[in-house]
Amino acid sequence: MTAVLERTRTPAPAHRRRRRAGARADQLFLVPAVLFVAVTVVYPLAYSVLQAFQDVGLKEVIRGGAEWVGFANFADQFGRPEFWQALWLSLVYAVGTVALTYAGGLALALLFLRRFAGRNVMRALLMLAWILPTVVGANVWRWLLDGSYGLLNAALRGLGLIEGDFFWLGRPGPALVSVIAATAWSFAPFAMILIVAGLQGVPAVLYEAARIDGASAWQQFRHVTLPALRPVSITVMLLIFIFAFKTFDTVYLMTRGGPGGATLTLPLYAFQEAFEFRRYDTAAVATTVMLMVPLVLSVFYFRSLRKEEAA
Amino acid sequence: MRAVLRAGVVMAAAVLAAAGCAGGGESGGAATEPLSVWQFYGDESMPTGKPFYDLVARYEQQSGTDVDIRFIPYDDFNRTLTQAAAAGDGPDIALISAFDTAAMADAGVIQDLSPQVEAWGQQGAYFPTGWESTQADGKTYGIPHLADAYAVYYNTAMLQEKGLAVPTTWAEMESTAAALSGAGRSGLAVSGIEGAEGATGLEIRMLAAGAQPTEIDSPGGHAALESFQRMVGSGALSEGFLTWNEEDAKNQFATGQAAMMINSATYVSILREENPDLQWSVAVLPSEATGQTVLSAENLTIGATSDDVDRAWDLITFMQRPDELQTYLPERNKLPARSDVPGTAEDPVRAVFAQQLQQAWAPDAALAPHNTEVLTALQAALQQVISGTPVPDAARSAQATIDEALGTS
Repeated sequence: MTAVLERTRTPAPAHRRRRRAGARADQLFLVPAVLFVAVTVVYPLAYSVLQAFQDVGLKEVIRGGAEWVGFANFADQFGRPEFWQALWLSLVYAVGTVALTYAGGLALALLFLRRFAGRNVMRALLMLAWILPTVVGANVWRWLLDGSYGLLNAALRGLGLIEGDFFWLGRPGPALVSVIAATAWSFAPFAMILIVAGLQGVPAVLYEAARIDGASAWQQFRHVTLPALRPVSITVMLLIFIFAFKTFDTVYLMTRGGPGGATLTLPLYAFQEAFEFRRYDTAAVATTVMLMVPLVLSVFYFRSLRKEEAA
Repeated sequence: MRAVLRAGVVMAAAVLAAAGCAGGGESGGAATEPLSVWQFYGDESMPTGKPFYDLVARYEQQSGTDVDIRFIPYDDFNRTLTQAAAAGDGPDIALISAFDTAAMADAGVIQDLSPQVEAWGQQGAYFPTGWESTQADGKTYGIPHLADAYAVYYNTAMLQEKGLAVPTTWAEMESTAAALSGAGRSGLAVSGIEGAEGATGLEIRMLAAGAQPTEIDSPGGHAALESFQRMVGSGALSEGFLTWNEEDAKNQFATGQAAMMINSATYVSILREENPDLQWSVAVLPSEATGQTVLSAENLTIGATSDDVDRAWDLITFMQRPDELQTYLPERNKLPARSDVPGTAEDPVRAVFAQQLQQAWAPDAALAPHNTEVLTALQAALQQVISGTPVPDAARSAQATIDEALGTS
């Protein structure tokens, strides 16, 4: 026993001591980053989730002393059709945006893979939609879709498809489609960049082999391009879903959640609860649910990614 | 070991540097720090903000006190103010919406000014509706800064062309607006956008029909909804009003796409400056049981965390001097909250708004904290009715929301 103890007390060789000290120093340099993340991400998140379990109005935000109510706020919100309506609209809005953004991004990526005059200028112009401040983009869409003097209606009237005014943002269904289109318009260039990178990684030899086997252009796209793009496509779709699911500004600026709550997605619902009705506790329930949905999706995504890598 | 030591020294230096910076910032001492004033009107370059900066500059010149004005857009104002108050770092003076005063007082964001007001003794000069908004639990938490009213702006050329008179009842409003509509033009423009802002028109119509804004499921509430339904049906009011905020309604009127609009005095100078060729005037709201406007007002309050209450109070009383208001209010397109400001009746347009202000409705202390929720429910009912929901159904649904908000269900 004594021998064992003595053995364990044997001083480590000098090079190992230096390495351990070096590792400790490395960890120390991580402290600012960890502190930064703790203060700017972990604390606000934990505080927000905590509020969902408390009775928090304006007074409690200022003076503290919020009462612990357990799951009462969740029970209240889960019993309200308005909450489920907001969650449903968020899902429809996010899925619609993903579908439209991906389709647009893929079409643009395939277009810009070809060489043609003005390609670079056009690509740069398209990127404007991505880098344009949301307030500008959303207002451009508001004017574009205006029922009386909007460009879209002017074109539709010119084609004889409508007569008089049609208020795209004043009717529930068209308003939802409009905000999805506006969001997809701003996200599509971002999707295009990722998909172009994915397309450039598809080996040319696969297309050559397909052509030798007599595959048509559509068959090449269906059986070579799309499967090869699968990892990039999943990444693009997941990222766009997360962006769309938490989007507040575009919808707020275009419709404020209207008409009649037809575009009142979960972020707008949470905003309304907290900053218009001063119900910070029920708003926290909405933001907690908002946090959970993309989180669960991300977990599934990373799991499937690991499985794919292992295979 | 040397690496750990080096990292420790770097960290310590960073901490000391940060501490040094903080110390430098505080060395000025409280006595020489400028008074902080937060407002949501606009910055110095904006027509809605500049008069406020000029007013405060006159005070700085006269008193030698430095004032630091911070502009926070309206949508962010209450959030920023409450967050700052929660962190113990609020402003000395906050210019807040009058109907938020009771809630801010209850939450401890602003402080009781009763002793100062008692010593000042000018409370009797204020119009009662505005003064009531400063009261909570029998104490005074603010001083009314100014007031605003809604009235009917009308295009004189368009009315003359059709040989029509300005409507004085809502029945006349419906028929006149219908007669003025057509050829891509609507007779009336008013904000109907989602949320509280879009409920003002309906609220005014309900008051005219003799209903309180909390009573949408009542004969007066139904009558108001039916009135809007008829106006949209006849083309007097474009269906697009459900997407217009007050600025959009002003743009419809300014560009001649609407012959009349219901809006506040905010747009008087803007129309004069931006559309000098537009021929227009203003009339009081149509009347039925009443011809009341919804009062729009702001109060000057002192933050609960202010450590310079005396100077803050001095600035507030300076801003409320009738001679200062006489210069400030016309520049700001607003109306006095007190009855002893000279010159209000000299401008014929402002005189109409001042006349309208004599018939003003404002939410009482019980309703004020829930006012936004009530208005949001009213706008939802309006939207539903225009989308085809029967009036009784839309009214019943909105009433249930209102009753729940007020705790009367």
